[in-house]
Amino acid sequence: MSVKAATPARSGAKSKQPLREWKRFRFPQSLYRWGGVLLGLVFLSYSVVYLNIPLERFFNMFGRVGTLVTERYYPPEIDYITEPDYLASVVDTIQMSYLGALFGMIMAVPLGWFGAYNMSPSKRFVYPLARFVAMSARSVHETIWAILFVTILGFGMMAGVLALTMFCVGFAGKLFAEEIEAIEMGPVEAIRATGANEFMVMVYGVFPQVRVAFTGIGIYTWDVAFRAATVVGFFGAGGMGWYLKRNILQIETYRVSAILVSIVVLVLIAEGVSAWARARVAKAK
Amino acid sequence: MSILSVKDLKVRYSASGPEILKGVSFDVEEDDFFAIIGPSGAGKSTLIRCINRLVEPKSGSILLYGTEVLSLNSRQLRRLRRGIGMIFQEFNLVDRMSVMDNVLSGRLGYVGNITGLFRLFSKADITRALSVLDRVGLSDHVDKRADQLSGGQRQRVGIARALMQDPKLLLLDEPTSSLDPKISREVMALIMEIAAEYKVPVLCNIHDVQLAMEFCNKIIGLQDGIKMFDGPTSEMNTKKLDEIYAMEVL
Amino acid sequence: MASAQATAEQVERIIAARSKAKLVRSLIYAVVLLLVAWSVNTTIIEDTDWARMGSVANVLESVAEFIGIDWGLFPHLLEPALETIMVATLGTLLGVVLCVPAIWFGALNITPFMPITYPFARLMMTLSRSIHEIVWALFFVAAVGLGALAGVLAIAVRSIGFIAKMTAEAIEDLDPKPVEAIRAVGGSEFQVFVYAILPQVLPVMVGVIIFEWEINIRRSSVLGLVGAGGLGLVFFRQLNTFNHPGVTTVIIAILILILFGELVSYFVRKAVI
Repeated sequence: MSVKAATPARSGAKSKQPLREWKRFRFPQSLYRWGGVLLGLVFLSYSVVYLNIPLERFFNMFGRVGTLVTERYYPPEIDYITEPDYLASVVDTIQMSYLGALFGMIMAVPLGWFGAYNMSPSKRFVYPLARFVAMSARSVHETIWAILFVTILGFGMMAGVLALTMFCVGFAGKLFAEEIEAIEMGPVEAIRATGANEFMVMVYGVFPQVRVAFTGIGIYTWDVAFRAATVVGFFGAGGMGWYLKRNILQIETYRVSAILVSIVVLVLIAEGVSAWARARVAKAK
Repeated sequence: MSILSVKDLKVRYSASGPEILKGVSFDVEEDDFFAIIGPSGAGKSTLIRCINRLVEPKSGSILLYGTEVLSLNSRQLRRLRRGIGMIFQEFNLVDRMSVMDNVLSGRLGYVGNITGLFRLFSKADITRALSVLDRVGLSDHVDKRADQLSGGQRQRVGIARALMQDPKLLLLDEPTSSLDPKISREVMALIMEIAAEYKVPVLCNIHDVQLAMEFCNKIIGLQDGIKMFDGPTSEMNTKKLDEIYAMEVL
Repeated sequence: MASAQATAEQVERIIAARSKAKLVRSLIYAVVLLLVAWSVNTTIIEDTDWARMGSVANVLESVAEFIGIDWGLFPHLLEPALETIMVATLGTLLGVVLCVPAIWFGALNITPFMPITYPFARLMMTLSRSIHEIVWALFFVAAVGLGALAGVLAIAVRSIGFIAKMTAEAIEDLDPKPVEAIRAVGGSEFQVFVYAILPQVLPVMVGVIIFEWEINIRRSSVLGLVGAGGLGLVFFRQLNTFNHPGVTTVIIAILILILFGELVSYFVRKAVI
């Protein structure tokens, strides 16, 4: 079947010069794109060389990991994780996680307010400052917070709670701010029009809109904090992490695997509880 | 001689579900612009999808150019499908691909997997795509992404894609339902011209009776999976239309 | 009047319902408050070595030690920072490779054999997400020895969960219309995948990968603590030599690195989506 070159008048086309040439690869754009890809590949291979990554060890690893798991970590010593001492540390971990999440969220609410572009009292100073604080708190890894607080305050759960608090401030602060930025401004304007001050505008115009979302974020924050809480003890900040470290140092591999199992199970439970609670909150809206 | 001959077609989506088509038969001749009309839920879309077996009928027979469609294996079915152009209600373009790639995807039935994977279409295919795009009036939009176009333009891309297949039959599934009345008319006119140019019979399922009466030479009316009317457009009248659409009034 | 009486009854009913809701709510608050008070008591008051900590002034003194920047350290941070980025990048990419089966098995509409492959994929995702990167790193140090490889593997495994979960969800939410169109032109199943599914999923996946890469910079910045090199190692060294301004300097370097990551991810995302 032949394609007619002449086009009837009704096609609606401006039918100037019909294109005769079309190439997928065009000079500047394609060069940039493939240049970028090439650059990426060069960076990757350079990384492998620079980091001295032994590729042969990487490819032999799979068998080694298999034997490692089956011979040295299996079976987990379940008795160990049912000992009262260990169970007490689990309770400690849970307490740390929700205290950290709670304190973090209490601090994150004003941070979210100041860091939300539409509601921030001062877009010039307070807004970037709040954003920066939230970003810093989030960027510094929870283990670094834990180490810092242990250095300053000494061993113990207080350091852990504070480390988790810092982590949650950053985590929830960012989400809170984003949530506030997504509100409808109509009610806010209405409350402002009554002559209310900014605090009252927050209480009556903003919080009713974000209450449910904040609760959901709060529960999620706890869930994430719990995962972090399982390891802060590693650096002396209390909870089950300390047991993990001790057993790793003593090469008690069966106990280590038992602890890992307990962590996975607990995180799963926490995740389940958090999902259930968030669904409840969303429904109760 | 009829090009497409459908006999006693029955469709049921699940064993216990209702029968969507209850034994439909009709014939499409060369040069036909064939309309299927009927209220929503009558089985129009199902009927049209049976022709290229996007929907598997339960029983019946579909003869297309003398081949029994329903007995083809999957390789043969793909060969058949590449000869049938299909234009969809919601255009069914790949939004994130360029207009050119969307049009070229019409050739997929003709090219191998490697060609398809790296998009190494031949010069002939590209030339063809350009002329087809020119024909539907999209020469200026070749490198735009499909989701940047308006509804009417998107449907033109859909038409161009169907033309790339070198079709021996065009199936239109409500080609104008997502478009406003003025654009609908333009698109239908374009399809009619193209069908005449390429000498392709068209089987078109359409909700808008006005458009059907205007552009099509034959009509079948479906109601609840049963054929209520079959004949040239000239024989269609208000009374018969009322019968076909009786269910919708209720 | 009857209607006035009815109204009065209604008011009473509403007040009763309200006070009941109030009671329930105050009970919940009381329980939460008690729980918090108890936890504060056990974790903070009882578990802290107040004598070692000393007075508020002492604490402030040790905080003050951290104030200041060790400018001389900055040139020595460039290489570890580069290492951190490299570990994060390689780890993310390896994670993408490893998560392909998890995505394939974990999307309900394409999983090959529901009763076995789907739970398997879910297990992979859960294990990846619930075990902390520090623990993964220790595990891989045991398997392949100290060094960057352990860090890369830890990050890769830790990334599987999120990337696989998001991508599998994107596949489950696929728009079926282009799939139908490519089938109708006679495309093979492979071509349907390349032309109708990939263009829809790839942008989501790239977005998720970039996001994960950002998080992985943060993670790889501490893996030095368990022997995987990078900024974490420098951090530890400064701490152990009591060079407290140096500690602050490393933290600032980490902040800069993460800011850089956010910038890159912003531009890449803009270019891709």
